[in-house]
Amino acid sequence: MKLKDQFRFVRQNMKKNRTRVSMTILATAMGCAFLIVLSSVGFGFQKSIVKDITERQVVTAIDVHGKQSMKQGFTPVTDKDIEAFEKMKNVKAVTRRMMLQQNTKYYLKDHQIDTQTIVADFPSEMKAGFKLSSGHLPKKPDEIVVGYDFATNLASKNAKPEELYDKRGVLKDQYRYTGELVGQKVELPVKQNENGKQIEKVFTFTITGIGVKPTKKWLEDRNAYISNDRLKEIEAFTGTPKGMLKEQNNPEPPGPKVEGVVYDEVKVYATNMEAVKNIDQQLKDKNYETYSVLNELKEVNLVFLVVKAGLIFIGTIAILIASIGIYNTMTMAVTERAPDIGIMKAIGANPKTIKRIFLLESSYIGLIGALIGTVVSYIISYTVNLALPLIIKNAFGENAPSNFTFSDIPVSLPLICIVICYVVTIISGLRPAQRATRVDVLKAMRREM
Amino acid sequence: MITVKNVSHDFEIGKKGRATIIPVLRDINFSVNRGEILTIVGRSGSGKSTLLNLISGFIRPREGGIWINEEQVSKLNEAQFADFRIKNLGFIFQSFQLIPSMTAFQNIELPLIIKGMAEKERRDKTEEMLKKVGLSEYQDHYPGELSGGQQQRVSIARALIVNPPIILADEPTGSLDSETEEDLLTFIKQLNQDLGITFLIITHDDKVARIGHRTIELSDGRITEGELV
Ligand SMILES: Nc1ncnc2c1ncn2[C@@H]1O[C@H](COP(=O)(O)OP(=O)(O)OP(=O)(O)O)[C@@H](O)[C@H]1O
Ligand SMILES: [Mg+2]
Repeated sequence: MKLKDQFRFVRQNMKKNRTRVSMTILATAMGCAFLIVLSSVGFGFQKSIVKDITERQVVTAIDVHGKQSMKQGFTPVTDKDIEAFEKMKNVKAVTRRMMLQQNTKYYLKDHQIDTQTIVADFPSEMKAGFKLSSGHLPKKPDEIVVGYDFATNLASKNAKPEELYDKRGVLKDQYRYTGELVGQKVELPVKQNENGKQIEKVFTFTITGIGVKPTKKWLEDRNAYISNDRLKEIEAFTGTPKGMLKEQNNPEPPGPKVEGVVYDEVKVYATNMEAVKNIDQQLKDKNYETYSVLNELKEVNLVFLVVKAGLIFIGTIAILIASIGIYNTMTMAVTERAPDIGIMKAIGANPKTIKRIFLLESSYIGLIGALIGTVVSYIISYTVNLALPLIIKNAFGENAPSNFTFSDIPVSLPLICIVICYVVTIISGLRPAQRATRVDVLKAMRREM
Repeated sequence: MITVKNVSHDFEIGKKGRATIIPVLRDINFSVNRGEILTIVGRSGSGKSTLLNLISGFIRPREGGIWINEEQVSKLNEAQFADFRIKNLGFIFQSFQLIPSMTAFQNIELPLIIKGMAEKERRDKTEEMLKKVGLSEYQDHYPGELSGGQQQRVSIARALIVNPPIILADEPTGSLDSETEEDLLTFIKQLNQDLGITFLIITHDDKVARIGHRTIELSDGRITEGELV
């Protein structure tokens, strides 16, 4: 029998019992929708968390904290190490930063800002992807680059401190600095305790460039970036590494003595994501302590793999329950049609063909159910993502985390569901189909079935 | 064309262990020649239907063998016999055995669908066959909307549509009045003469038995009259 004709038989048979068949399809669709929606929560959370992690940090970056060895214990990353990192394969850049070890306050005319001063190696920063929105990089030691949000945080010196900020903690418009920034001079007083007295020296910088806006809304870059040469001048004044403050009555610089430059933040940038794993492994092999987002992602993804498998398993139970309905429907269909089956067998229909027709019918029910279930779950998922933040807001008076996906349905999920559903329906349709092939011709023709 | 050799058959009834064995056929030997009409007569319960069911492959003999077209069909399994039936055998039943949810047209078309014939060819053949049995007007009627005689013509059309060399009929006129019975017998004779179809007909009606070139009588599971082979 031609497949086309088998399909026609199936459709005709299904039409004869429209209500029963559609109820079974409905049950299957509900099972599938349950599986997909349930698992979509796992997918959604994973997506949100992965997005959160990758947004916080560049995925190609590897943080190198230092070296841990049996002999020397922990040692920070040195210039020699950095040179070696730069020579490694697939390394795009190695950035190294130091923080000026004081609270730094910059003055621009009658405005001021409290911020952190970062000592950066500009060529490597540029290679790693540091970009300017205007101006150029410092060429001379007394030149400085400021972060994108430096200007918006420059507050008027004349206002009362409690009046400066609005309820959200944002500097009020009327106290902001509105003028041009590039080319302006800013002053940084550097302090030190000397013989029980506090002394101060003012360093003047010219702003040559402004960094680009951070890619994330909630990130703010108000830092000031100075060059290593300028740091040397500051160190010459303070007499301590990185401008560290001495204790009031102790002329010795605080902290343990270290040789050479100690960087606070060293990052190795790989040329692409695929290279990260390899570079990270090489560094670890050389006893460096490293951290990379990609490693964290690997662990997060592993946890979610287990979670998703669990959810899919629970969802499969719903489909199994629906399969009882399919079994029932198919058994009734076989019983009802036994006389017809008997006649067809008497004429010369092959039992295999009869079996195939019934299997086709049960898988038809399963597939239509799975498809309807898929469509429904996309609608549910969409609605949940839309409605849940509103519900949370109304019920608890709190904002749901922005950009959070509660339910995500990647293409693989409906495919998994359809495969599971198909297998389950075939299994549940197998026995009734087998029964159909065993219909006794003579009994059927005597209408004894 | 059909050879039945040393066939014996019995039925078991009741539960296993306490089953009673009912002997039905004892050492049956006969054959049907190509182009022949053979009729089998006998009293009710003599085993006629059982014999025909054995030849049709609906049941298998306990002993002996059956050959059709040189092939030992009693050895075929169910699937093989199904394929054999669709190619070689046409059936006419006393109670027509039409599928009630299919129209006359669809019932006649069914064997061609089973055979896997293309739709266009199938339609033409079915229409031609409907004309041949004089039911063109009734092609969209369901069996329930046809008279007994019309239903029997549909079932004959269904048997003829695959051009089988052999037609097996169990009490083909059993449900018909004498006038339609007459028509049917004429039609069978015509088919036998024009197309050379071999007929094996079971009946307890003398009128029907007389259209056979030969007649075998069955009594208590044995052949008591007719040519023994
Ligand atoms: N499936 C069966 N199980 C048990 N016994 C059966 C079965 N089929 C037939 N018999 C028995 O076999 C015997 C012969 O039955 P069969 O139907 O062949 O008779 P028949 O000659 O066709 O009679 P009729 O002219 O009334 O149709 C009967 O006694 C019947 O009871
Ligand atoms: Mg009988």
